[in-house]
Amino acid sequence: MTEILRLTGVCKAFGGIVVADNVTLSIDAGEIVGLIGPNGAGKTSLFNLISGVVKPDAGRIVLHGEPIDRMPLYRRARAGIARTWQNMLLFTSMSVMENLLIAPRDYPGESVLRLAFGRGDIRRSEAEMRARGLAILARMDLTQAADSLVTDLPFGHQKLVGLARTLMNDGALLLLDEPMAGVEGAAYETMQRVVREEAASGRAVCVVEHNVSFIKDLCTRAVFMAQGRILQTGSVHELLASKVLTELYFGV
Amino acid sequence: MEYFMSVSVMIAIFVILAASYNLVIGYGGLATVAHPIFFALGAYTAALLAIHTGLPAVLCVLAGAAVATVASVLLAASSLRVSGDYLLIASLGFQLGLLQVIRNFEWTGGPGGLTDIPATITGAARTPAYLAICGAAAVATVVFIAWIVRGPYGRAITAMRDEELAFTALGRNAMSMKVALFAIGCGIAGIAGGLYAFYFQYLSPEQFDVLQSAAILTMVVLGGMGTTWGPVVGAALLLAVPQAITFLDLPPSIMAPMQGIIFTGLVLVFLFVRPAGLIGASGRGAMPAALGVHDHSGDGA
Amino acid sequence: MTDPIVLLQILWTGAVTASSFVLLTVAFSLTQKVTGLWNFAQAGTMGIAFYAMYFVLNDLAMPLLVALPVAAVTAAVTGMATEAWGLDVLRARRSGNLTFFIFTLILAELVIYILTLLFGTEPQTLFGSIMSPVRIVGGIAISDWDLRAVAITVSALVALQLFLRLSKEGQFLIAVADNAKLAELYGISARRAYCVTAAIAGVLITLAMYLLGARSGITPNSSMELILTAVIGTLLGGMGRVFMGGLASLVLALITSYSVLVIGSRWQNLLIYGFLFVAIVVFPNGIHLPRRRIRAPVATAPAQTAAQEG
Repeated sequence: MTEILRLTGVCKAFGGIVVADNVTLSIDAGEIVGLIGPNGAGKTSLFNLISGVVKPDAGRIVLHGEPIDRMPLYRRARAGIARTWQNMLLFTSMSVMENLLIAPRDYPGESVLRLAFGRGDIRRSEAEMRARGLAILARMDLTQAADSLVTDLPFGHQKLVGLARTLMNDGALLLLDEPMAGVEGAAYETMQRVVREEAASGRAVCVVEHNVSFIKDLCTRAVFMAQGRILQTGSVHELLASKVLTELYFGV
Repeated sequence: MEYFMSVSVMIAIFVILAASYNLVIGYGGLATVAHPIFFALGAYTAALLAIHTGLPAVLCVLAGAAVATVASVLLAASSLRVSGDYLLIASLGFQLGLLQVIRNFEWTGGPGGLTDIPATITGAARTPAYLAICGAAAVATVVFIAWIVRGPYGRAITAMRDEELAFTALGRNAMSMKVALFAIGCGIAGIAGGLYAFYFQYLSPEQFDVLQSAAILTMVVLGGMGTTWGPVVGAALLLAVPQAITFLDLPPSIMAPMQGIIFTGLVLVFLFVRPAGLIGASGRGAMPAALGVHDHSGDGA
Repeated sequence: MTDPIVLLQILWTGAVTASSFVLLTVAFSLTQKVTGLWNFAQAGTMGIAFYAMYFVLNDLAMPLLVALPVAAVTAAVTGMATEAWGLDVLRARRSGNLTFFIFTLILAELVIYILTLLFGTEPQTLFGSIMSPVRIVGGIAISDWDLRAVAITVSALVALQLFLRLSKEGQFLIAVADNAKLAELYGISARRAYCVTAAIAGVLITLAMYLLGARSGITPNSSMELILTAVIGTLLGGMGRVFMGGLASLVLALITSYSVLVIGSRWQNLLIYGFLFVAIVVFPNGIHLPRRRIRAPVATAPAQTAAQEG
């Protein structure tokens, strides 16, 4: 199993609050790692540290064997980290397809020089990207929504679009931040299926979730965090059987 | 006839200014106010080159644009590093500081202004010739900007304005895109400056002050931010209507502030009632993306 | 090299002249702290305060004791009206920084145009003559006016500090400044805090314009220059540090006064803008005096929220 991501001794504090306390973690290709824990445990902060929204105070973050902890956000994305957001952050002025067309990591039409001198290039890429986008939408049963404004879609579908956009970004590491929050029914099933497919095709997936059944059904491994520290890792079954952890989680 | 043509020349020049400013704030969403200073850099560079060297006018104008572009890149790169809001204050400081320098140097004409800009076109056909040149430049500007913001690049600009964080997390360098847009907008303003210097043949710091900033801002807001024709309509209105008011024969001490009151009043009304401007989509709800904000609180836990 | 008496004189006179700038900066910085906005509309308030006093003193021929309160009330009321009918609406619409900027700047311009229409562009001072008895203390000329200016400024600042520290209303302002959403959860009205801030700013601005307008000629356009100095002081003092902003303005004014010994007076203005640029590029978070206090890291918005909730 190729290792995609490795964190070693990552620490981060804001003022007096420690959000990451000596975090050591690795994620391999094909894994679906569930990051669970009570609110304020530092789960999204960990995603922020990995994706580059904030820089760690100490420790190393290595992607595909290369250290990335000094890299700015956009470079980490180019290196292969793709994430979703709790607030989705979809591009609200645009349609679903347009949201997807922005997502590929390298796009010729976006350099002013290429704009001037590479029109043929741009036309070809545009067609390719569109085809890819449609394929992803088809997997999510969202083909008919391709030209709708994202704000016109129901919430569950918007979340699927968020996932679709991240897939278009084609990163080797997929960070999903509470993808199931507020989602139910068909959208829920679809999301599960798609995440499983992605892991099977070789991506490393890490999911922050509160929805226990999602974690049970999907994750190959679970990591329990509280107050910035990893308390336990192991199979989902083991973690959920632990009395100590359930107490911490549900605050009995 | 001569009168209408000279007003039209000014309209053409201001269309170039308004359209390029619209690129920066309407499309790029960058809050800046110092557009007139790049206008000034283009004008003064072209004028000084024309006065002190024998360079042909076209080269002087291009040199002016180059100076404006370089200055804008330096300004944007240094202040965007801090935050987007800083560009606003930094650009204001840059504008007023540079104007102060111009005001105090004899070499740039001092407070009295730069007067002996050599004539390039003379004779009866002067105004029509300038109208043709400036008009062509205005058309070229509007077309060029429309071309930039179409297609994938325009899509990227919109996405950056909608949700910069998500945009960056998809692998885009938002900072370099902003600097590029700023540079293009200010470079075009520099060209307008060069044309202005040769046409008007008189430059003084007052012409590039905060009042000018407010005027260009008014043109863009009234016309419609983030649209192709908005700046054109805005520039035409803001220049033509005061001319129409002059026919009312009011004393200048009343007329000048009166015009100011009308236009600032209109901007405020539009800002509240029709933020999309004259050309933009109608209805209160329609707000150009550049004027809105997206709430990111709650990305925690 | 230079006579120490001259240096002291420049220090005193410079500090006195600086008093109005200090008040203007404190007003601007306080507003920025509580509302988070760079409120350029205060340039309009400055004009309104000055011309209200001018009108009452000269056209209505009433004494200062009437003019000053009338102007202060007018300034406070217009500030609060701008808050309630303008800024509040924009906030409700989730408007971005650009919108607030356009609104405040254009509003200031509108006020300037109206004042130009009503009062013309000739520089005006509040009073006809600007003579006041002078005494020599230790070789330095100190006029009664100087003393009055310093007394007014110091009392205003002390009163503000006491208000912010000791009164409930003042505490609410600080709470809203820190975290408006959190304050609302505790039942503190952010809108009320914004209005109170606008009122305070109005009073401070009126005092500043009184001090300034008694000695120098003011035109409707003067306020644009004045607000620039308030901006610079706020930046150098550090956002959220109101009294440091005032101090920064004082130091800046003193440096400008002293600079006349070294550079020509026409370059003094340029010095100010030079400072602005340095402030922006080198000290975006204000100048921090080296202290044992731990400097908080500059965090991005999601990171800050993460700090609160993560």
